[in-house]
Amino acid sequence: MARPVKENHLLLPLIVGLLAWFVPGAGHFALKERRRAIIIFAAIVPTFCAGLYIGSIGVIDTVGATPWYVYAAQIMSSPMVAVLAHVTAGGGYPVYSWPNEIGQIYTSTAGLLNLLCIVNAVYLAYLRSTQTTGG
Amino acid sequence: MSIADFLVIATFTTPEVIGTKPALMLWLLPLAASLAITYKATKLPTITPANFIKETAVLFAVITGLIIAIVLALYALAWLITE
Repeated sequence: MARPVKENHLLLPLIVGLLAWFVPGAGHFALKERRRAIIIFAAIVPTFCAGLYIGSIGVIDTVGATPWYVYAAQIMSSPMVAVLAHVTAGGGYPVYSWPNEIGQIYTSTAGLLNLLCIVNAVYLAYLRSTQTTGG
Repeated sequence: MSIADFLVIATFTTPEVIGTKPALMLWLLPLAASLAITYKATKLPTITPANFIKETAVLFAVITGLIIAIVLALYALAWLITE
């Protein structure tokens, strides 16, 4: 049985959006935009890792004094950030001062850049789904 | 866990000692590069190596130039107020 056209329009963007969230660049990779995918992955993942290297995994802090919007930006990099937050929740990785701030800036910027890529991938997927179904 | 795995993970469990020197501001350059690369990767209609490098370099120069202009303006303002 054929699915309604509207459902087809939503399914591809949803899958692409989730892929792009789980792995930076995976959404574009699924849309056969390989060059974009590789560039996005090669830009966002090292930025996020640089933040973790400078400030340690302690910069992902859901329990301490870190504002909620920093964690919200960080988790846009990947749901794996929630796993790191679970590891650091016990307070075993304290980090203060400049390493903390630079680490948070790097990791949250990586997350916001991935959000830009998620939106772009979802938009491309929506355009393609409407073209293929003639919507 | 092998020794190699442990060494990789260990580098992410202790913060780096980066001091409080003015050169600390140079940490914004990799961030500006990452921003320029990602933005241009999403905005260019077709990506060719030459076109992508040129567009990214221009955006990186614009971001860096604007930051330097803001720094100079704030420095001049601070100098005018304090002198």
